Amino acid sequence: MAATAVTAPAAVSARPGRSSRPGQRRAAVISHGILTLYAICVLVPLLFVVYLSVKSLSGILATPTALPDRIHTENYTQAWSSADLGRYLINTVVVAGVTVAVVLLLSSLAAYVIARYHFRGNQLLYLFFVSGLALPIQIIALPLFILMRQLGLLDTLPSLILVFAAGGMSFSVFLLVNFMRSIPMELQEAAVVDGAGPIQVYWHVVLPLVRPALGIVAIFEFINAWKEFFLPLLLIQSTNNMTVSVGVQSFQGEFDTQWQLLLAALVIVSLPTIIGALFVTKQLRRNLLSGGIKM
Amino acid sequence: MASQAAESSSRLAVRTARRSRPDGEPGSGRPGSGRAGRKRLSRPRLVLAGLVLPAFALFALFVIYPLISSVRYSFYDWDGTGPLTNFIGFRNYTYTLWGQGFAGEFWRAIWHNVYFFGISMVLTLAVGLTLAYLLLLVHERASQRYSVVFILPFTLPPVVIALIWAFYLEPNFGVFYDVTSFLHLNFLALPFLGSTTLALPTIAVITAWAGMGFPVLVFLAAFSDVPGDLLDAAALDGAGRIRTLFSVLIPSIRPTLVVITSMNFIGAFSTFDLIYIMEGTQAGPSYSTDVLSTLFYRTGFGGFGSTAQSMGLATALAVVGFVMVVAVSGALIWVQKRVAT
Repeated sequence: MAATAVTAPAAVSARPGRSSRPGQRRAAVISHGILTLYAICVLVPLLFVVYLSVKSLSGILATPTALPDRIHTENYTQAWSSADLGRYLINTVVVAGVTVAVVLLLSSLAAYVIARYHFRGNQLLYLFFVSGLALPIQIIALPLFILMRQLGLLDTLPSLILVFAAGGMSFSVFLLVNFMRSIPMELQEAAVVDGAGPIQVYWHVVLPLVRPALGIVAIFEFINAWKEFFLPLLLIQSTNNMTVSVGVQSFQGEFDTQWQLLLAALVIVSLPTIIGALFVTKQLRRNLLSGGIKM
Repeated sequence: MASQAAESSSRLAVRTARRSRPDGEPGSGRPGSGRAGRKRLSRPRLVLAGLVLPAFALFALFVIYPLISSVRYSFYDWDGTGPLTNFIGFRNYTYTLWGQGFAGEFWRAIWHNVYFFGISMVLTLAVGLTLAYLLLLVHERASQRYSVVFILPFTLPPVVIALIWAFYLEPNFGVFYDVTSFLHLNFLALPFLGSTTLALPTIAVITAWAGMGFPVLVFLAAFSDVPGDLLDAAALDGAGRIRTLFSVLIPSIRPTLVVITSMNFIGAFSTFDLIYIMEGTQAGPSYSTDVLSTLFYRTGFGGFGSTAQSMGLATALAVVGFVMVVAVSGALIWVQKRVAT
């Protein structure tokens, strides 16, 4: 039973209601119709930004739907140079990347011990980590600010990494423990008989088997760190250390927003994750569908 | 169903593990191995503790310790600087819940959070389940392509989502109003972000739009885990697709529905980014989008539209909100477990 949860994704190909053959074609048409309609609802607002971002300011404001008089690529070069977009992007990639690395390493080690060993307080330790799942960020925001000031980390990238990594631990431990529990104990026992210690078992037996879960954790923590708004708003003051989430706001003036630059900037900062999503979604889907994970 | 099976199987795994290590000794199921007794007792345990420690320390220092600090601040009259000297017991709490003026703001914010949750939950269930089911019906490759599209807004920073929609719905030059007048749908040309009745639902819909990809994929994964025999049985009984969805698939993924519902609830009670970016700290128009987190922000850090400023009060407010979230999501999961067994 436990083995099938990991190795054999059960009934992925099963299509419900298969037997009613006459309706088959019509059902397919309706399904594709609705799915396409929703895809349009998603894509049109996103693509329209790209369209607007190559127009002049007056074109954007006065005649948004009309074709641009010409392709204003200077919106992009100006947006790139007038704010430190490259800097924001690098900061965000560094913060998200290091956060993912820290979360993967630390939470997989903790989850391994919780899921694969029995000791007093095991369940308590699990609840300790998982308790963070229900925690709104606001409740810890102010003490975090004070703590970071005491540690001298205020307005630095490490402050964000530490908080994101700590905050990501809950989801990660939750997912990994549930996944690791479905690995048959016999595998671990066989390795132990062969003389493997806890660390070898972790590295050679458990980690390779939970790779789908690690993939999900990595993708989620990256996206979360990439998107987080409240904490960078609170912990970062200097433009040098801003992430895209808060940095882009500098384009928005109180009265005279340079919309053509703002829209170009929005496209620029969206590109990395859009491209990432194109490559990663298939993987994420497969990992989610591989069974074993019970959300 | 599926998760029950997995749960019982993991329990099975736990039991076998216990059997093989009756002494509770971790890591060594080696009967009669030549290791010295004292070494067997101490060293693996130390190693295991060492493996947990980094995660434990990080989480304790940057999540648990701030949480405890917050609870401590909430018992003081404190403006955020200087020492904590003025202990006032539960006064911040009583002021939050019943105080003149402020309690009104607090309960209004709570109501807005609940309203926000209602809208996003209905959309997540109706749209999310529909899309997931349709993805199950179409071919694998098509299903993959749709998934990529659906997940896109989920990867975008909230500032992008907020500014895109703020621009489209801008009353003077927003594209949305050009489209409605072009299509002669002028009755749709409403001031979505500037109206006290429409602003909050509009932001809730945008939030749901932006986050839909995630529940769709999770529902799809849960649907795919429903045993094929169940579907075959339903087909044999003559159940059509809609009937199969409502009588077999949806009841089978109840644990997933509960998890998504509690995640939605937690999300709705901490929603901040879009409201802050689109409506400012005063959560306009005239506080009609004011939720717990914006009220917390104003109370703690000041800003336009603040009526009271105190760190102690802000943390008390956050603690009350947190207790509500934990109580409700805990109750949800508890009820689900009760129903399941």
